[in-house]
Amino acid sequence: MRAVAVTAGLCLVFVFVWERVDVVRLGYSIERLKTQKTLLLRERDQLQVKVSALTAPERIARVATDKLGLFPPQQGQLFIIHPQPDMPLVATPPVEQLRIARSMPIAGGAK
Amino acid sequence: MGPSRGRRHFLLLTLLCGFGVILFRLVTLQVLQAAELTARADRQHQKTVTLEGARGTVTDRHGKVLAMNVEVPSIFGVPTSLDSPANAARSLSPVLHIRREEIEKKLRQDKHFVWLARKVEPEQGHRLEQLSIDGIGMVMEGRRFYPKGPLLSHVLGFVGMDGLGLEGLERRYESQLHGEKRLTILQRDALGRTVFPKGLREQVPATGQSLTLTIDEVIQYIAEKELEEAVDHAHAKSGTIIVLEPQSGGVLAMAVSPRFDPNAVASLTADRWRNRTLTDTYEPGSTMKLVVAAAALEEKVMMPGSMLFGENGRMSVANTTIHDHEKLGWMTFAQMIQKSSNIGAAKTGMLLGEQRLYRYLQAFGFGQRTDIDLPGEVAGLLKSPREWGRRSLASISMGQEVGVTPLQMVSAVSAIANDGVLMKPYVVSEVRDQKGQPVREILPQVKRRVVSPGTARTLTAIMEGVVTNGTGMKAAIPGFRVAGKTGTAQKVDPRTGAYSSALSIGSFVGFVPADAPRLAMIIVIDEPQGEAWGGVVAAPVFRRVGEQVLTYMGVPRDDQVKIAMLAR
Repeated sequence: MRAVAVTAGLCLVFVFVWERVDVVRLGYSIERLKTQKTLLLRERDQLQVKVSALTAPERIARVATDKLGLFPPQQGQLFIIHPQPDMPLVATPPVEQLRIARSMPIAGGAK
Repeated sequence: MGPSRGRRHFLLLTLLCGFGVILFRLVTLQVLQAAELTARADRQHQKTVTLEGARGTVTDRHGKVLAMNVEVPSIFGVPTSLDSPANAARSLSPVLHIRREEIEKKLRQDKHFVWLARKVEPEQGHRLEQLSIDGIGMVMEGRRFYPKGPLLSHVLGFVGMDGLGLEGLERRYESQLHGEKRLTILQRDALGRTVFPKGLREQVPATGQSLTLTIDEVIQYIAEKELEEAVDHAHAKSGTIIVLEPQSGGVLAMAVSPRFDPNAVASLTADRWRNRTLTDTYEPGSTMKLVVAAAALEEKVMMPGSMLFGENGRMSVANTTIHDHEKLGWMTFAQMIQKSSNIGAAKTGMLLGEQRLYRYLQAFGFGQRTDIDLPGEVAGLLKSPREWGRRSLASISMGQEVGVTPLQMVSAVSAIANDGVLMKPYVVSEVRDQKGQPVREILPQVKRRVVSPGTARTLTAIMEGVVTNGTGMKAAIPGFRVAGKTGTAQKVDPRTGAYSSALSIGSFVGFVPADAPRLAMIIVIDEPQGEAWGGVVAAPVFRRVGEQVLTYMGVPRDDQVKIAMLAR
């Protein structure tokens, strides 16, 4: 009986020590992953800046004209096609979709 | 027995003394010096760091990134830990692109910490890591990048070295954009590694909020390109352009020439980065006749067909002479606007009277800020009628004795395009949190009705005449109905205090398509050389920008509409 109690006590001590060691190990592991995440986020941001710089209209226009020999369409070379038959032909500003911040009495003029 | 007992007593006494010393030391360490030693241990095992969330991004209306933060290395030195400052400086100089002598001077200082270079390129950081010099370290700091370079620079503004917004939107929205700052205590082991990061979530400070603008980067590019070409072509001092959505007041493009690169502002002066579209006033000249015309039509003082006599180009007012650019006789009110007659405008103003004219000028927003969400806006100059002189009524009617900003003028003309309703111009349409969720939506805001829809439409027809038969013919865009007005104003010579014959401002303001406006635009060219008429230097910019932007927006030309209707 006494031997069993001693063994159980030793097991408990072992579990406690193992748990403490594992906590430390996991702590280091979490820190490593955090650093890795930070580096990846930093790389993502740097790539985003590069993508943004490469897609700047100024650069695209320069590449299109200087490297590819393209030029803007001249008068009569461009037709805007409305594929849907019910689409309005005259371009109207989306007034009906426009939401106004607050309704003000606008009936009177500057009088 | 006796000597043995004496030795025992001696041994006991020695042990007691020894234990006494140990006990004394224990009490000293654990009780008397406890606080100080605990603090020292904490300093060795704990590291207090300031964590700062990244500054929020700024995007255009389609989500294209215009400004964002990236972490980059900052290089520092610990002079007290360096064996040879000269050797370190020799190795660092080609990497940091700083003179060797300059680095060495910093490293020879009697300090524990010196900055050598802040916010350098990531590649420089990698090279420095490879060098691995003792006493030289690197920390990561957030650096603001403007990936499009000078595009929209006068609106975006820039931040200082400490990351605080100093100009433009960066300054105006500083409280929303800046990231959260938080002090955090980290535990370190004997090797200096961080252990047990407690409360991982709490440690990460919140990123700043992000802004979505009403600006369209493509329209902005077109506007900047054409403005720059016009300023260069006219050998002008500077130029400004604003493109608005008349129905909402949202700014689609806003530019000043010459531009600047917000990524490198250290060597520039405020004169270069000032957003002149709202900080600088000018005498508008003939574009102001639109407001006089709107008031006259609304008050029924004039009809489009009302006749006016042009006095053959010369008229005396208050012992001074008003001139027209050509000898004009009898003309209709509409022709007066189309030919931009100063005498006709002065007569119209006199018919309106001081109080009525002043009321309409105020209603259209002159003499007060538009309250756009950008810093530095001025109210312009509009004196009250009490301060007007005998010539003021005539002068103001033709755009003199009044100071306006380009933003005020385009905003006023937008009201005509918007059936007589003046909108508040704005640049930021949405503020989003770090997860991309909207926290604030900025909706178009009506300021007031300034004229009736009928008056707005009548004036629009007159303005179309300016482009088809008048002074603004170079603004005509094939396939679209354009309404606009030219302006040419003499500048006051600062040396003489009188109007200069050499210095002037040419401008054009208008909207397109006249029947269903999508764009309102103003172009102001400051001190053009040679032919300085607004119709010559500014109107062609309106045409070129309008043509490209309408194509980009997919607005069909009138002839295409007709073809499509026939095909039905």
